[in-house]
Amino acid sequence: MSEPIISVTGLGHAYGDIVALHHVDLDVPPGRIGLVGANGAGKSTFIRILLGILVPTEGTVSVFGESVQPDPTTVRARVGYMPEGSCLPLDQTAADFTVYAAELAGIPAKAARQRASDVLTLVGLHEERFRFLGEFSTGMKQRAMLAQAIVHDPELVFLDEPTAGLDPEGRDEMLDLIARLGSFGINVLSSSHVLSDIERTCDWVVMLDGGRVLRNGPLAGLTDTSTVEVEVLSGQDVVVAELRRRGAEVTIRHHMIEFDHVNGDPFALIRDVLVDTGIGIRSMGAKRTTLEDIFLEGGAEDTT
Amino acid sequence: MTTEPTGAVFDLGYVPHSGPRLGRRGAFKAVILDGVRRVLGLRRKARKKVLPWVLFGVALLPAIVFVGLAFFLSTFSPDAESPFGGHAEYFGLAAGSTLLFIALAVPELLIPDRVQGVLAVYSSRPLTARDYLLARFTSLVIVLSGFLIVPQLLLYFGLSSLDPDGVATALVANLDNLPKILATSLAFVVAYGCPAILVSIFAKRLAPASGVFLGIMFVSQVLAESLSEGAETLGRWVSLVALPDHPLAIRDWVFGEQSASIMGRAGYSPWASVGILTVIAIATGWIAIRRYRELM
Repeated sequence: MSEPIISVTGLGHAYGDIVALHHVDLDVPPGRIGLVGANGAGKSTFIRILLGILVPTEGTVSVFGESVQPDPTTVRARVGYMPEGSCLPLDQTAADFTVYAAELAGIPAKAARQRASDVLTLVGLHEERFRFLGEFSTGMKQRAMLAQAIVHDPELVFLDEPTAGLDPEGRDEMLDLIARLGSFGINVLSSSHVLSDIERTCDWVVMLDGGRVLRNGPLAGLTDTSTVEVEVLSGQDVVVAELRRRGAEVTIRHHMIEFDHVNGDPFALIRDVLVDTGIGIRSMGAKRTTLEDIFLEGGAEDTT
Repeated sequence: MTTEPTGAVFDLGYVPHSGPRLGRRGAFKAVILDGVRRVLGLRRKARKKVLPWVLFGVALLPAIVFVGLAFFLSTFSPDAESPFGGHAEYFGLAAGSTLLFIALAVPELLIPDRVQGVLAVYSSRPLTARDYLLARFTSLVIVLSGFLIVPQLLLYFGLSSLDPDGVATALVANLDNLPKILATSLAFVVAYGCPAILVSIFAKRLAPASGVFLGIMFVSQVLAESLSEGAETLGRWVSLVALPDHPLAIRDWVFGEQSASIMGRAGYSPWASVGILTVIAIATGWIAIRRYRELM
């Protein structure tokens, strides 16, 4: 793994008696990171600790090798943040607020104006940039929030549930924008409880459940398996029996035959079985596991 | 005929920032400027501009009228003293509009950022809670300086220009008024601004915050006024809570006037007002920083 951008050791945080994070250890590489977990899993707490808004009860946190506590301003100078709730002053125009967001990161006034204009164009708000934020729709507000998070060209941006409250079209556009951030040289840590959003936009995933890390590893390979899925037109029992006779481990799920063949190519095996039994198939392919499957199974092994 | 390309379309896409970054200092300055714009309603809808500029006019207009009338009277009698009093009297006149202005300005400075979630943006910038509050307070001081000091300077230069001994002589002769004006203005900022900050860091809406602040100031004054006349010991103690009275006591002290303030009538030294305002300023800072450390 390349030099981690986020390193966490023995991190714990509790709100009174409620433990939000429990002894978390992880290193996260550069790239687009998905932070996945159910509501209340500790995602927002984790991001707020990384920003230095919350002081952890125990453990240490560093971003880009810089310790977040006791002075978070060094880390804050290098990151952007799009919170889950609204963060927009309703009585300002999108242009004015985005300029201000850039100036708050230390960008000189003239450059801030230029960057605000560019970034608002990038997120699709060029035409609406002189409208007051209070007049914006939910989708436009989310775009404006993304604009303020990246206007100062941060090295890492934290996106907390960036698709919350969006309609399907708006969600689609937001996910496209997030997927593009990597090509701009901006690392992304995007939290979501919608696993398909993370699958679509990220290349590394951190799974949290009940304040513990279920999994921390690359998405590539995580969802690939050696299992083959076959749906036959008829004679399912015959095919299953023949596969087992030839040494395959077979399970049946929703009319699909799923099997692994440790001693050879599973596709060659099923080809031979179908030829010998004369049974036709409706579909066949490598089984692709979703993040949801992994999450429900309890995270599987940490690959780091 | 060959057709050479005459132009090209470039998609610049995303352009990283390669220029300077001003860091914490730049962020601090940005918050101050935003605060000034916010209080004065600049770059906001027209209705946000009305009240601050009307109050600014109310604070400035008497100074213009005073100087104008003094100029008019001086044409009849060059040696006549201004019948409208000087700097100390003008502070008494401006106290009401200053109180109203602070009641509008401080909630506007602090409440929307917190209620609309904008503090989350500050949390991802090189700023601490202390930086943010200090920058907001500096915005308030800048705007109030204009509110309290500009009319005083108008009086200073206007009345000096009418002096029969000449402008330069009068300006030099009255130079000692400038630190007195600064000291009194500071007393007003602390005495009126700190209670407004304490209300605004907890309030969720602008109008109720303004109302509660004005209520506190009014009740403290009335309470002290009525009880200071009664039981001797109790009345003396209660006069300490007259928040609007402290800057007037300090004004009388620095300008060498006979004090008609409640504090003066109760026999307190002006240092008591200085001490109380210092305690209020420290307590406000401590409470505000504790509150905002939980938020950003």
